[in-house]
Amino acid sequence: MNPFELRNPDSVAAASGAAGPARVFKAAGIDLLDRLKERIDDPDALVNLLPLGAELGGIGRSDDGTIRLGALVTLQQIADSDALAAPGLRALREACGEAATPQVRSRATLGGNLLQRNRCWYFRSAAFQCAHDGKGDRCLAWHGENRYHAIFGVVDCLRVHPSNAAPPLMVLGAEVEVQRGEARRRQPIAALFPDSPAAATAEHTLGADDVLIAVHLPAAAARGGSAYRESREKQSFDWATTAAAVHLGVEGGRITSASICLGAVAPNPWPVDDAQSLVGEAPSRELFEQLARRVFRRATPTEQNRYKVEVGQAILVDALLAAAGL
Amino acid sequence: MTSSKVLGTFVVNGEPHEVAYAPHKTLLEVLREDLGLTGTKHGCELGECGACTVLLDGTPVVSCLVLAQEVEGRAIRTIEGLADGPDLHPLQDLFAELGASQCGYCSAGFMLAASELLERNPDPTRDEIRAAVAGNICRCTGYIKIFEAIELAAARLRGEQGQPTREMLYGS
Repeated sequence: MNPFELRNPDSVAAASGAAGPARVFKAAGIDLLDRLKERIDDPDALVNLLPLGAELGGIGRSDDGTIRLGALVTLQQIADSDALAAPGLRALREACGEAATPQVRSRATLGGNLLQRNRCWYFRSAAFQCAHDGKGDRCLAWHGENRYHAIFGVVDCLRVHPSNAAPPLMVLGAEVEVQRGEARRRQPIAALFPDSPAAATAEHTLGADDVLIAVHLPAAAARGGSAYRESREKQSFDWATTAAAVHLGVEGGRITSASICLGAVAPNPWPVDDAQSLVGEAPSRELFEQLARRVFRRATPTEQNRYKVEVGQAILVDALLAAAGL
Repeated sequence: MTSSKVLGTFVVNGEPHEVAYAPHKTLLEVLREDLGLTGTKHGCELGECGACTVLLDGTPVVSCLVLAQEVEGRAIRTIEGLADGPDLHPLQDLFAELGASQCGYCSAGFMLAASELLERNPDPTRDEIRAAVAGNICRCTGYIKIFEAIELAAARLRGEQGQPTREMLYGS
């Protein structure tokens, strides 16, 4: 790593004010230190958010059933949290509990997981210049090695969104709380991701001086059932090749609400509008397999990632069955 | 940007050490380069292999992804602190007895991750052991001897005999 200065602001407002050119926010630094070592980023200073645990930490459940997850909560804390024990929130616990390794989960934060950069090997290598890192004029994966790349929602860059936590938070109707200077705002988590995830666009929509404060879950998220499933090549420490988060309401043998978001298949977490077609139906494997076929029929795989169409369907069906308790 | 050194105190294996170090160094680099504690191994440097695992306030972390500045004054345990004076930790005995350490590069990380497991769970199942060392990669052993060594170390820590079977030592 090149030398840098580590700044420790004493408040979120001070952290936001410390942002600037060649300065980046650091939470646990799991992804950031990787990027510094790979010489992808070369900031003059890191603005350290870890000392701000009083403002940015903790999992809290209000009397009205809403839940606040501080941006510095670790993935392991989420996986183990009693406040997230409801079946409706299981997808989030499962997604965080399956990420990376025990050593990483014990430090990696929710905010860092949501805002990490993607894992495309062309982007991650200083030896390549691509349109996403701003040094090249095209996506090198189109005609290169693309077996881990996107099959949905591609604009001109084949990267996939790497966050485990994002798909379950999407189906749970989460909102994110962001602070810039002294001003705080809340927005749906979907607004954290760009409308058109082009090569020239970052993975998220936050400004350089925006600090992610917390993620909020509505009380309704705890009701119903949910599940997260992912495929990967190794049992441990591997990024998903496909992933699916599902939240289902089932009453009287009929599905009353359905929300699905796929991961690792598109430049953004990929919500499935077709989930609404499940409402009113009786949950069954046949129903879920039909839906999965319809969803993945619209995939646009490249030369090396056609397997994601088959595997992704199986993962989605598994997640639907688990969320439905079948 | 700065390249001058800063002064900090690191509490490693119960002993405070005052160190002048470059402020952008990782904990792994300070341990190996400034404190001479080379038992902690430098593997992938990207948090993927677990060779650099140490205990930070009792929790396994990959020291290659921890900035040294952030852990001044906190309790750090490395492989050099696993033995009790001249007496090896049962994990160290069993890794040696069973051949769970072959090239040895991953062993320190495995033993520290396993020691944390045995602190909180004295009688872990094989699956619990697998989960606890899921962040550690071994390219020599195929893992079975490592799992067996941790199981027998757990037995010895419980006060049981924990002797390797003939099959463990010589195969079936």
